[in-house]
Amino acid sequence: MLTWLILTPVVGAAVVALLPRRRPELYLPVGVALSLIPLALAGVLFFEFETGEAGFQFLQQALWYEPLGISYRVGVDGISLGLIVLTAVLVPISLAASTSIDRRVKEFVVYILLLEAGLFGVFVALDLFLFFVFFEAILVPMYFIIGIWGGERRIYAAVKFFLYTAVGSALMLAAIIALAVMHARQTGAPSFDFADLLALDLSPSTQRWLFAAFGLAFAIKVPIFPLHTWLPDAHVEAPTAGSVLLAGVLLKLGTYGFLRFNLTLFPQATVDLVTVLAVLAVIGIIYGGLVAIVQPDLKKLVAYSSVSHLGFIVLGTFALTSGGLQGGVIQMINHGLTTGALFLLVGMIYERRHTKKIADFGGLAKVMPVYAGFFLFMAFASIGLPGLNGFIGEFLVLVGSFATLPVYAVIAAFGVILAAVYLLWAYERVFTGVPDKPENQRLVDLSGREIAILAPLVVLVLVLGLYPKVLLDKVAPSTEAILDRIEQTTDFQVPEPGRLADVFVAEGEGR
Amino acid sequence: MIFPDVSWAAIAPEIALVAGAVAILLVDVQWKPEPRVLGGIVALSVVAAAVLSVGQWFRLDTPSDITIPFGGMIAFDRVSVLARFVLLAVTAMGVAGGWRLFERLGRRAAEALALVLLATVGFSFMASSIHLVMIFLGLEVGSISLYVLAGITRERPDSDEAAMKYFLLGSFASAVFIYGVALLFAGTGRLALLGQRAFLDANIVTRPAVLLIGMALVIVGLGFKVSAAPFHTWAPDVYQGAPAGVVGFMAAGAKIGGFAALTRILFTGFPLMADEWASVVAIISALSMGIGVVLALVQDDVRRMLAYSGVAHAGFILTGVVAGAAAEPGIWFYLAAYTIQLVAGFAIVAAVTGSAAGRSGLDAFAGLSVRSPFLAAAFTVTLLGMAGIPLTSGFVAKFGVFVSAWQAGFSWLVIVAVLASVVAFGVYLRVIVVMYMREPGEAASPTPSTAARWMLVAATVSTILFGVLPQPLLDLARNAFSV
Repeated sequence: MLTWLILTPVVGAAVVALLPRRRPELYLPVGVALSLIPLALAGVLFFEFETGEAGFQFLQQALWYEPLGISYRVGVDGISLGLIVLTAVLVPISLAASTSIDRRVKEFVVYILLLEAGLFGVFVALDLFLFFVFFEAILVPMYFIIGIWGGERRIYAAVKFFLYTAVGSALMLAAIIALAVMHARQTGAPSFDFADLLALDLSPSTQRWLFAAFGLAFAIKVPIFPLHTWLPDAHVEAPTAGSVLLAGVLLKLGTYGFLRFNLTLFPQATVDLVTVLAVLAVIGIIYGGLVAIVQPDLKKLVAYSSVSHLGFIVLGTFALTSGGLQGGVIQMINHGLTTGALFLLVGMIYERRHTKKIADFGGLAKVMPVYAGFFLFMAFASIGLPGLNGFIGEFLVLVGSFATLPVYAVIAAFGVILAAVYLLWAYERVFTGVPDKPENQRLVDLSGREIAILAPLVVLVLVLGLYPKVLLDKVAPSTEAILDRIEQTTDFQVPEPGRLADVFVAEGEGR
Repeated sequence: MIFPDVSWAAIAPEIALVAGAVAILLVDVQWKPEPRVLGGIVALSVVAAAVLSVGQWFRLDTPSDITIPFGGMIAFDRVSVLARFVLLAVTAMGVAGGWRLFERLGRRAAEALALVLLATVGFSFMASSIHLVMIFLGLEVGSISLYVLAGITRERPDSDEAAMKYFLLGSFASAVFIYGVALLFAGTGRLALLGQRAFLDANIVTRPAVLLIGMALVIVGLGFKVSAAPFHTWAPDVYQGAPAGVVGFMAAGAKIGGFAALTRILFTGFPLMADEWASVVAIISALSMGIGVVLALVQDDVRRMLAYSGVAHAGFILTGVVAGAAAEPGIWFYLAAYTIQLVAGFAIVAAVTGSAAGRSGLDAFAGLSVRSPFLAAAFTVTLLGMAGIPLTSGFVAKFGVFVSAWQAGFSWLVIVAVLASVVAFGVYLRVIVVMYMREPGEAASPTPSTAARWMLVAATVSTILFGVLPQPLLDLARNAFSV
């Protein structure tokens, strides 16, 4: 099942690559159609997933390279499930939104589909070698997507993106090797199997080094302040589909990595380093928000808002409470949906006006009421208006982190206000008032196709906002298991109010 | 008089190659055929050698099955066979990839092809010898053939310059090597590696200075052959000046021969002195990686870039050497993966900038993805393989030697190595950027020969195949060693 999930986009890419060169108009529709197959598989996965189970499901295993203890081992738990569905949803949408790609369309579709395969691979990999393979392999299609179809400074952005992330993952590779060698010392045979490595007995100082090596890789991906400088460049230069997937899914590799590997493999180091990460997360929240306010460029504004939003996820993760962890996971999905949608919206207006400067717009609500409606809706979702998805995530994160990191939670709460400031102020400048610029007066409103692209995201935002239980019930057991592990292996006690959140979401279930 | 025991089976593949070389020269004198006929003879003798090697592989039952015929000069074991497989693959691919050059050479094609075969014989003996004198003979046969090949396009002065430089520095390195051999002989009284090991086993050397200096000189001499820093200075000039059609084979053959000899000498002859040589090799390794990637980053000529990246790769392979005999399968996997990519890389350079030309500026690759999607794709896979991106054989190779080095306690070297790999990404990305993201000039679309095309397909497929499914090749390598 999971193997098919990884393979179908690869096969899809091959099919697109073999399409006749004389029919360029086929590439995109075929690509979209083919990307619906993994979406269907992801849907099946979501509904077949056994709610209330903490462990990995749909396990598949095959020896890959035995002497080094490398195996192909995949599985899904509550944390990765949502991210897989998110990926499967965003890929067809971003492909469908790429009609403005006018050259080398075939390659474009191929790279997007390969990227999708890599993303699935990262989220299902349960062998650290396999994880690293996908983690690193993702860089290649993304590099081409930014570098070939990007904006003016695309080559600079692509190379910066690639090298930045490669530095982090290089040290992670060294740490993965170190783990396998330690496994060999303790048990006699090297292993890269996640479950095997969990059983390792690591001294606190070793844990701290390895935590740092893994953490650097993930912190660059997230990105955590001060490692975020690649992000605005990559986002602004990337084509719309690239930005959507970059913000929607690629950034989550960092937060997912922290949650999946750092917290579980190095619990003692996690507990020791909570303050460092919390400080950086809060700086990210506030700094990202402040910088977003002053951006003259709409796309850059959304990019910096990601720095702020991802800060919430990191804060929740390192709050080490039920609410924090669950909120973090939910927020990963939420951010993917809302920021993805915002990038799509920015892309749509850019296709019409060929500018992203906020100052070039004004009064668009009168010319493009439907567009304005969608934008406002997504902005509210991003700000965290109750009833929409962003609220649930941020609320859980704040409640969760208040139990263990009260000061940081209070400061972080200002991030919510900042989000309202930068998004609503941007909305005001772009949409309200009179459309005084002549170029803006003749803009056409969203077409049926564009509405169809945005509609699924709107539905998901509403579903998660009104009934988050669908997702939370699946997430909670897995995050609780992480907390249990931390409690068992360290003297850290999750404070009782910190466990309150699971009463709030899943009465009687959970632990 | 005692005759040494003769085992024709042990040297049958080399005999086939020599026969091929002689046949080429004789046929050429008598009938002056088309180059393609000579190419056929090359193919025939390479295939014959490969078939004979396969026969040898199955004749040898176990990894530890080793006989030493010819008075202990030749080691008949699976390691030799494995090394020869890699060499033969590189030879075949090198000739196919540079075929346009041999066509252009006309009358001199026979010389060039015979030299290619002789160089292969030399390096093959280097790998299958277990005696320092024989290793030296193999080294010289191989090297001298390469000196001539470097200058085979006589009309171009930079080709002459490359040949001269290679010859002078190479001879100097050979001299250093043989002096080291002499000192090792002085220290142990033996030239056979197994004898030296037995001597060190049985005796405690109270004043090891002679041995240590000898070993250092041997490492320096071979370090030159594999272009490890700081003995790499010849590589960029030679790679740039020699005709593009043969550089791939030259570089790959010398690397294989050099590493075969180095691992034999260190692992078979002097495993007991591992503490002494490992740290020296580790420093050379770190220097090679550092210098290699940084200098590769600033080159504007693709061939100089590949030369410096070759220095870095020598460093990466040395991280495995540091780890000792346990890393040997990993080292051979790396050599196989890298040399195939190296030959493929130069075949593409030859196709794009002309097989006889010196210099291959980066600009010549601008917009290659539009002018020749096939070459651009092949080069991309090759470069990603060299960079060691996952799902290419280069990643598995790097991973293998890094794990060994970490296991041997050289974690600092692994950290240097992973950081160097990141810089190396930058090196290879630059070329990919030029190929895919720069507009093509008015340069014509390059047309590689059919042989080169097939060879590139094979190289590309192997890079990806062994990246996704490394097990068969790794098993093959492991079956050659008794670890």
